[in-house]
Amino acid sequence: MLGVVILALMPRWTSDYHVSVLLDVLMWVALTESWIILSGYTGYISLGHAAFFGLGSYFMALTWPKLPFLLGILLAGTLSSLFALIIGLMVFRVRGPYFVILTLGLTEFILHVVINLEIKLGGTVGRILMGAPDLVTLYHAMLAVAIAAVIVAYLVKNSRFGAGLFSLKEDEEAANALGVNTTLQKWVAYVISAFFPGVVGAIMALRHSYIDPYNAFDPMVSFQVIVMAFLGGMEEVEGAIGGAVLLTLVSEALWARYPYYYMIMIGVIMIVTVKFMPLGLVAPFKGRLLARLADGSRNGA
Amino acid sequence: MDWTRILQILFTGLIIGGIYALIAVGLNMIYGTMRLLNIAHGEIIMLGAYVTYWLYTLYGISPLVSVVAVMGIAALVGAVVCRWIFFPIISTTKSVSVLESNSLLIFYGLSIIFTNVASLLWTTDARGYSYLTNVVNIFGVPLMQNRLWALGVSFAVCVFFYVLLQKTMLGKAIRALIQDRDASLLVGVNPDGIYYFSFAISFALAGLAGCLLSMFYEITPFMGLPYTVTAFIVIVLGGLGNVLGSLVGGILLGLVETVGVSLTSPGWRPILSYSLFILIIVLRPRGIFGKGVY
Amino acid sequence: MLEICSVSKSFGGVQALELVEFAVEKGEIAGLIGANGAGKTTLFSVISGFHAPSVGKVRFKNQDITGWKPHWICRQGLVRTFQVVRPFPRMSVLRNVTIGKLYGKQRLKDEKRAEREAYEILEFVGLAHKAAYPASGLTIADRKRLEVARSLAAGPELLLLDEVLAGLTPAETAEAMTLVREINQRLGITIFMVEHVMKAVVGLCDRVMVLHYGCKIAEGTPREIAADPQVVEAYLGEDLEI
Repeated sequence: MLGVVILALMPRWTSDYHVSVLLDVLMWVALTESWIILSGYTGYISLGHAAFFGLGSYFMALTWPKLPFLLGILLAGTLSSLFALIIGLMVFRVRGPYFVILTLGLTEFILHVVINLEIKLGGTVGRILMGAPDLVTLYHAMLAVAIAAVIVAYLVKNSRFGAGLFSLKEDEEAANALGVNTTLQKWVAYVISAFFPGVVGAIMALRHSYIDPYNAFDPMVSFQVIVMAFLGGMEEVEGAIGGAVLLTLVSEALWARYPYYYMIMIGVIMIVTVKFMPLGLVAPFKGRLLARLADGSRNGA
Repeated sequence: MDWTRILQILFTGLIIGGIYALIAVGLNMIYGTMRLLNIAHGEIIMLGAYVTYWLYTLYGISPLVSVVAVMGIAALVGAVVCRWIFFPIISTTKSVSVLESNSLLIFYGLSIIFTNVASLLWTTDARGYSYLTNVVNIFGVPLMQNRLWALGVSFAVCVFFYVLLQKTMLGKAIRALIQDRDASLLVGVNPDGIYYFSFAISFALAGLAGCLLSMFYEITPFMGLPYTVTAFIVIVLGGLGNVLGSLVGGILLGLVETVGVSLTSPGWRPILSYSLFILIIVLRPRGIFGKGVY
Repeated sequence: MLEICSVSKSFGGVQALELVEFAVEKGEIAGLIGANGAGKTTLFSVISGFHAPSVGKVRFKNQDITGWKPHWICRQGLVRTFQVVRPFPRMSVLRNVTIGKLYGKQRLKDEKRAEREAYEILEFVGLAHKAAYPASGLTIADRKRLEVARSLAAGPELLLLDEVLAGLTPAETAEAMTLVREINQRLGITIFMVEHVMKAVVGLCDRVMVLHYGCKIAEGTPREIAADPQVVEAYLGEDLEI
């Protein structure tokens, strides 16, 4: 709670540069938390987060400044969820590697549809957003989104609904046989998960005051989110915050000065971590805890 | 539309389709035998293209000669990646879903390493060279000689692959491993050897494709991802794990794209192929031949 | 309670079930036997909604459930176990059973209560002392117990048991048979079981149906079945001694 107040007051004490770094951190927290709601809790690895991010961005680009800021970002999230609702009919007909490829393919599909529409309508592909809200407003909005994402991820994980998601992650047919409506569960998780990248995309469109299809639907966003979630243990709410903060700060420190070296380093870190800690940075501690619990019950029995 | 135009489209479709087939067969080999999705596949193509480019511009070595070196290097890289990265994690990871996401992360790591090493060494400028650009007339269709070479090489390799998988003991062992891992182990198939072989062959084919593509397309460090996605489309068309299906799927996609583009405009190419991909994956997830392996 | 009306099922040209007719009465233990590949598990999958029958109908409590989704059938009180047991491996034993309480027939909203009731079921099947174990760490016999416990948590009126005795030692088999009988008598749950262990079929079942290459070739009390010449022929070489 105190942390939230401090974060909210940060802009009073620090420079614009630090606020913009924090804004980035919060963006990745929101994206990662929302991603684990579907992919972390059910094991359906989605490479489609960038699609929702891009849709949110484009909604904002098309409606700004006709719609007020708050309404705009909320509608962007709603649109994104609505889209997930529709394609959820389709994507959950497949699982495993098919799901991974399909979500990646859908993102690229939307990217190219948008490029073609933009060329047809405007002749060019980029859009400039005039008169965006100031940095502090955007920062506060992003803080609210990140907090909401963390809370939702936490609530889902600890609810009856979450128990169903985790059971279908373990064994979809067995869960189904026990009365879990697995299709509906995945679908709802997808719709919830899609809301946040929509909102985040809308805020970031205003933050950069410029968008084009390539940066709005950048597949890097989808991949980066997986890396962060992985570092945090894939299904851990706190871990996802940790992964997002860690990677964003490292990137902030190195990216501007040594972009290529930084990216190479990230690649090496990923390979090394996956090789030596296949369950992420948090899991070893959690594993020890579980082992201790099991020991305790064995001694007690 | 006259006959020459139709033949022209057909040839172009076969040329690009042959290359798609090469790319997809390799990707599908690794998926089929090890259940790994290599999203760094396109980056191997990119590296193959760069090596060919440098050998040609610096030393004047013909792409049709350097292709041997490119394939050798790529195969070596594949074997090393297999040995140092995938053997350890396959032996320690029990859960399929963890293996799936972890291999995705590792390949993603490889892909950003390759892309950025290339950017660092050779800048992000687009490069290209011209080689064998003289035009030959085939059935009245004017075609550049380098494209004819690409067509010839890719089809020769496809035929070679078909024979290898259908007629040889090694091919039978590979197909057995793909179809039923446990049963094939029981009858004495050595999976480790086949894993090495799959990685080496897969990377070599990607290098070959890069070599051929470099003769007529621009080379950049970022050229890989679109090819990876295209290869995914092809293996879904032909059936995931159905290696021979990928040969047909690749050529089919090449033809569909070329015909589609000739009827609409080049901007529609990705939209056409992605629509086809989404339709197939939703309506016939086991591929058009219906024999894919989950 | 359960009526299987001329059910057929084919998979791409292979006829797995052909015009199977059977009824399970409330309160009984019915058995289903047959050689490997006779279509026993396929029949269970059709009943529990994992496969739609090609032809025919399945009725449960006088309601047509043909083509219903598995989770919906489960919530009506028809629960199956799997031949190869499928506990949720990374969850604790208690959590496994709690899922059944949260999502089965009762669909409890209160997790505390679900957990309490799940624990009672673990006590009933004799697995309470391992409640906190991860399910992946259990022995085969305990996994089977867990599979049964989890299905009980889903609140069955009719329980389909798919070879719960297979692979158990003689001592474990005896314990498991007692458990099946208790589920039937103390909890009043009707049971329809696929079983290979003939001793168990004879000891437990009131009535038995025999499948042979997808067709029903006999139906009756275990003794009648054992005397049936067609059954003996189908089982040629297998031990049908009682």
